[in-house]
Amino acid sequence: MSTQGATGEATTDWTLLARIGQKDEEALSALYDRYSGLVFSEAKRILRDAGAAEEILQDLFYQIWRTSQRFDPARGSLAGWLLVAARNRAISKLRRKNTVSDELDENGVTLGFDVESHAAQNLLLDKVREVIRNLPENQREALECAYFEGMSHTEIAEKTGQPLGTVKTRIRSAMESLKKVLR
Amino acid sequence: MSNGEHIRLEELELFALGALPEAEAAALQAHVSGCGECTMKLAEARGHAALLAFAAKQDKPAGTIKAELMARIRANREAEERYAWPVKTEERGGGQAGRKAEAKRSWLTWVLVPAAVVLALVSFLLSWQNRRITAELDREHKEAEALIHDREEIEKLVGVLAAPDTVTVKLAGMGDAANANGVVKFNAKAGVVLYAADLPKLPADKSYQIWLIPESGAPISAGLLGPGGHAWGRMWTGEVPANTQAKAFAVTIEPVGGMAQPTGPKVLLGAT
Repeated sequence: MSTQGATGEATTDWTLLARIGQKDEEALSALYDRYSGLVFSEAKRILRDAGAAEEILQDLFYQIWRTSQRFDPARGSLAGWLLVAARNRAISKLRRKNTVSDELDENGVTLGFDVESHAAQNLLLDKVREVIRNLPENQREALECAYFEGMSHTEIAEKTGQPLGTVKTRIRSAMESLKKVLR
Repeated sequence: MSNGEHIRLEELELFALGALPEAEAAALQAHVSGCGECTMKLAEARGHAALLAFAAKQDKPAGTIKAELMARIRANREAEERYAWPVKTEERGGGQAGRKAEAKRSWLTWVLVPAAVVLALVSFLLSWQNRRITAELDREHKEAEALIHDREEIEKLVGVLAAPDTVTVKLAGMGDAANANGVVKFNAKAGVVLYAADLPKLPADKSYQIWLIPESGAPISAGLLGPGGHAWGRMWTGEVPANTQAKAFAVTIEPVGGMAQPTGPKVLLGAT
């Protein structure tokens, strides 16, 4: 789970985070280079607004700079936290909610995959896209309504005119297919 | 929702996707917050849901966002350092006490010499101490003025960034500075803040100067950026006449000290 850093050293996320704790700007820069594309793309997909997505991106990395000592490897993955926090903030903005909670205590994330290099990220991008492409249309719609639009299963049922049980089944089936990329 | 004591992974995945209605989500969250096993399973479910982030079309944020971030953390860091608790005051107090003790010992040493010599020495010591204290007061006064100036700069910066009607103007590099970029935050009442990144280093006799180009009339100088280019970018605050309406902003290369009107080549330009 490591990549070659700008200095040629193998640098894990946690090594970078430890250096950020020592107020090392180069370490923050390296972490930003590693994940800014993923975080920005996710927030932009939800909000369909590059400026709003950039604001979320910058705020998340500023939070890492200010509170790096609060991140604990025992609670899961830093990349996972970034993706979940970006999604939560974007959905809150989209649905105009003011209550955003992305504290690590509540949002520990365990990623079952390596994303600490761009090569690993590209591999995963290809795998996930292939799974999504091959999903039945109704499963893909249900999954994307939930994750990218912040709709509950009852809202999706209302939107699609399908029974609630059917919507739940579609989401679960889609998640089972998605998890195959981890095997 | 739960199977026996614990919540099923499928339910946790629905929660992680944000697909549970608020009431169900609150009940699940209440259980998870008191259950170590479900907390671990929820972290795993969040990881599964996060796979969907990889389904988004991949784009890159503007280069200025990183420059702004680095300028923001640098401003934060400088503010923390500048307003750190001034421990020097205690050290100085200890030094004065030490000097007083020394003066007392000197006086005891000279107690047996003629009174005129003692009086002359005391007089000299008092005069010397007076000059030291006056010099220290002058220095501290200058330091206080510098701190007030720094604070005013930061307040000005915050005033521009926090104002709801502040507009953002992205500047693109031009000519020899094609790789540079910048962002102007402009508020007609509060002033101008410029973040600029990757500006080439200038010779010692040149400065960057920022210009507000109004809706009508000649460009108005918003300040000098000083010599030098910086990989991460730097931040400047500037002032323009209140309530000026801007059509565009530009940065040009001018002689040190600046010019009343632009004369040198443009390196950054952006329209509002």
